[in-house]
Amino acid sequence: MKTYSVVGKSVERTDARIKVTGQAYYAGDLTAPGMLHGKILRSPLAHGRILNIDTSKAKALPGVMAVITGRDFPGIPFGTRPDIRDQLPMPITKVHHFGEGVAAVAAVDEDTAEEALDLIKVDYEELPVVLTAEDALAPGAPLVNEFKNSNIAYASDFMFGDVEKGFKEAYYIKEEKFSSQRVSVGFIEPHACLAQVDSTGRILLQGSKQSPYITWRHMCRALDIPLSKMRIVNPFVGGGFSGKHDPFDVDFAAVRLAQITGRPVKIVLNYDEVLAAYRQRNAMDAKLRIGVKKNGEITALYAENILEGGPISGIGPFNIYYFGAFLNIPYKIPAIEYHGKLVYSNRAPCGTVRGQEIVLAQFCIDSLLHMVGEDLGIDQVELRAINAVPSNWVCANGIVVDVSGLSECIEKASEKIGWKESRKEKKEGRGIGFSCASHPSGPRLGGHFGSAVMLKLLEDGQVIITQGATEIGQGSNTVFCQMAAEELGLPFEYIIQGVSDSDTTIFDSGMFGDRATYWDGNATIAAARDLKKQLAEIVAPSLNAKPEEIEFENKRVFVRGEPARGMDWLQAVRKAYYEKGAPLYGRGNWAALDIDIVDWKTGKGNLVHGLDFIATAIEVAVDRETGQVELIKAVHGDDAGQPINPAMLEGQVNGGSAHMSGHALWEESLYDEKGRVLNYSWRDYKQPTAMDAPEYHVEHIHTHDPYGPFGAKGAGEASSCSTIAAIANGIYDAIGVRIKELPITPEKILKGLKEKEGK
Amino acid sequence: MFIRRLPKFEYHAPESIEGAINLKLTYGEDGRYIAGGTDLLIAMKKREVTPHHLISLSNIDTLKGISMADDGGIRIGAMTTLGEIERSELVKRYATPLWDAVDVMASTQIRHLATIGGNLCSAVPSADSAPPLIALRAFLKILGPSGEKTVPVENFFKGPKETVLNGEEILTSILIPKVDENSGGCYRKLMRRKAMDLAIVGVAAWIKLDQEKKRCIDARVALGAVAPTPIRVEEVEKRLIGSIIDETSIGEAAKIAGTQCRPITDIRASAEYRCSMVEVFTKRAVLGAMDRIMAG
Repeated sequence: MKTYSVVGKSVERTDARIKVTGQAYYAGDLTAPGMLHGKILRSPLAHGRILNIDTSKAKALPGVMAVITGRDFPGIPFGTRPDIRDQLPMPITKVHHFGEGVAAVAAVDEDTAEEALDLIKVDYEELPVVLTAEDALAPGAPLVNEFKNSNIAYASDFMFGDVEKGFKEAYYIKEEKFSSQRVSVGFIEPHACLAQVDSTGRILLQGSKQSPYITWRHMCRALDIPLSKMRIVNPFVGGGFSGKHDPFDVDFAAVRLAQITGRPVKIVLNYDEVLAAYRQRNAMDAKLRIGVKKNGEITALYAENILEGGPISGIGPFNIYYFGAFLNIPYKIPAIEYHGKLVYSNRAPCGTVRGQEIVLAQFCIDSLLHMVGEDLGIDQVELRAINAVPSNWVCANGIVVDVSGLSECIEKASEKIGWKESRKEKKEGRGIGFSCASHPSGPRLGGHFGSAVMLKLLEDGQVIITQGATEIGQGSNTVFCQMAAEELGLPFEYIIQGVSDSDTTIFDSGMFGDRATYWDGNATIAAARDLKKQLAEIVAPSLNAKPEEIEFENKRVFVRGEPARGMDWLQAVRKAYYEKGAPLYGRGNWAALDIDIVDWKTGKGNLVHGLDFIATAIEVAVDRETGQVELIKAVHGDDAGQPINPAMLEGQVNGGSAHMSGHALWEESLYDEKGRVLNYSWRDYKQPTAMDAPEYHVEHIHTHDPYGPFGAKGAGEASSCSTIAAIANGIYDAIGVRIKELPITPEKILKGLKEKEGK
Repeated sequence: MFIRRLPKFEYHAPESIEGAINLKLTYGEDGRYIAGGTDLLIAMKKREVTPHHLISLSNIDTLKGISMADDGGIRIGAMTTLGEIERSELVKRYATPLWDAVDVMASTQIRHLATIGGNLCSAVPSADSAPPLIALRAFLKILGPSGEKTVPVENFFKGPKETVLNGEEILTSILIPKVDENSGGCYRKLMRRKAMDLAIVGVAAWIKLDQEKKRCIDARVALGAVAPTPIRVEEVEKRLIGSIIDETSIGEAAKIAGTQCRPITDIRASAEYRCSMVEVFTKRAVLGAMDRIMAG
């Protein structure tokens, strides 16, 4: 294997110092001359008709420059897909959830803006609320979304392989129901943006956005303007986790208020607004049936899944699709039947969270697998090893797994957690749980889906990189700088991160699905090669060589095999600039053209490359008296191909796991019977702290993905998918109580213990 | 409904207790004393209270500091921050249950601002500093226009967010009596997560044994977060006093504690869970106190 000089090294993050010293500017830190401050008035009702909004008194308050409502927008709905455009910038006829923005104010300062909100009078007619999937699907249920005449927002029915035959061949069949709760997404920085409009009417939006492309497309549609009329610059973003893809009322209101006033408008939310009224993960009700042979080999799987997703579809269709299509990994399942439904409700709108709904699917599957292992007396590690997807495997739906290190992941995880030893001498109240998972490196979508990278060569020999991917804290910028440096034969410090600006950057289709390292990484390599090619053509004649003979290594440009026959990188750069008058740009783009486009209808096809694999083992301690669970130790055997930056990769793996430990044990957004959120403060919404995290270990399983940059795969989301079941299984192993409804609270555990003792 | 910006108010920072009391006399209901402000400013942002005058006690030096009193007890100025208490060797050694409490309160940043006087005067049922102080038999010194008075901590609370303080009175200091020989205490707090969390249940126990360290000759047990105020549970103490502290007596005392609490069901826990946890944590707090006596 080739040895790399920058790739595979844990170099310091490009943004580490600026962030830890507080010098990074986030959207909320931005200012502009003449800037106004915006505030949003929110609905106290979860469901109601808007009869009238009187803004006259607010408009008359000195210092107030503009007041808007949903009627100040063109009334064009937007959505992820053409058939689910079910959302307006701000509501016009009805409110759909507690805390929904109904009006917005721009004023000279925040206090005045807030005072103006008190002067807006909204007349509502209260409507009955739809809170759960059951409510939504009940006959005669009130309709939630005014663009749809049903509470079923989206549905998918997939059939892979011969399911009937699969269950017939089964020695043992087990069916269980699982459910999961509403959770908030969990980024640190609340939604914020600064909108400006120039004298030509062109908009500049600087917001805390995870996928500026999605925001840009949706906003231009709903504002009825061409894409070129809007420029998006992404400042530092304080985390995304799939909660910042789409535009929100924050973004729309700031833009519209800036248009009306002709002055910059900034809106920064408080976190209570985020917890009450912005993106959450769907609640799930699922039923799974699994068939296995006597040795535990899976023969068939049947899954029903209803996601309750709030009043809009958002990226919900993806959630339904991901849950179903990726039941095919990480285990070999020859036949799968899947029925998924997304339903509307009057709770906060859903997007998804880290790991998408593979997180929920895997919680179900690996919990069920553990139960099967218990029933049949099969060792949990063996049960997973026997079903692990190998390399060159074709899944029932057609996904081709090129390289799988899963077996080794399982082996390493069980070894490091001490599984075999733990079976010999079981400690009271202690248990170990396993779960595996796999996550693809980005799907191929309809519309724009490629990644583009540009390298600008500076005359002092340094290179500025701009790419379509967005840095949201995951470390993608650092990774691309490493790759560019590696390919150009330069030290890491030679690569400077450029800005994320729609005027100079071709934004990626979005930051999701572990795609950036893979797609933008390949585009980075292509851009570097393009730059080298141009430079080689300039340098080659003076070295009496052909351009294709020129190599770049160690800050040198030389003829292949003859390092002395060459010149320093800087000399070559100067040659281009000073002798040829040729400042250079390297351009590269990449898209997985050999995979199939997302097939919404069937879920079939070779849908992805770069499946990353993980096996997670978590040791827990359960207090039988209090029902409290302590996470002791978590080991992840992780196959992300070639690690580009091992330290950051570990951060992603452990971060995803810590994040989902909150979903497993602590977090739940609670609603009362009228759909009002009950715990929208950090005091009452319990995210885990660093003190709650276990001791983490990551065992890197090095593989080489044939399509990935330097053999790398996507990373970070698989650990989100494998954590919840590992915890649930660990709890069962510790005390023999199976919890199938998330979150696993102390009270549920005590109830389970009581029932068990009562038997 | 949602957190708002702070309402407008005038900020006063007198340098003497008399100055503070005079300001409060001037502004009456429209004035509020402010200590660390970690509760009050949030209440103002929620518009639960909207005083136009905040009278800060931060510049009054006589309200600060931890010292050993002449009688061997500990005096803690009401404006001493939780962080200062956490770092105090005196508290750790002579008022260990209080140290247990501040160690698990809020976050480092909040402990840097919040004061022990503020924690007591806010009088929320889950105030962590109250049960240990009740168990330690502590007194509060209160100064008002008509003079000074001393109140046992257990008699300080009248209801949720309500204390015996009236009008212009200021809590000036906390007096913790000298540690008896063969005695020890402990505070145990149940939280959903391991840090930055409110008590679901808090139990403080203080035990005094006879010369042979066999029989319990005095006991104090106090509960937090399970009644409208922090409460002392004398029935539990009665079961312990005169007994050999063993599995039976602890178990029975703990059972009594579970029946003495009057918790509510809320989003943090059900009343039923809280009661059973009072039992568990009473046991653990008594055991913790015993461990310390035996070690000491």
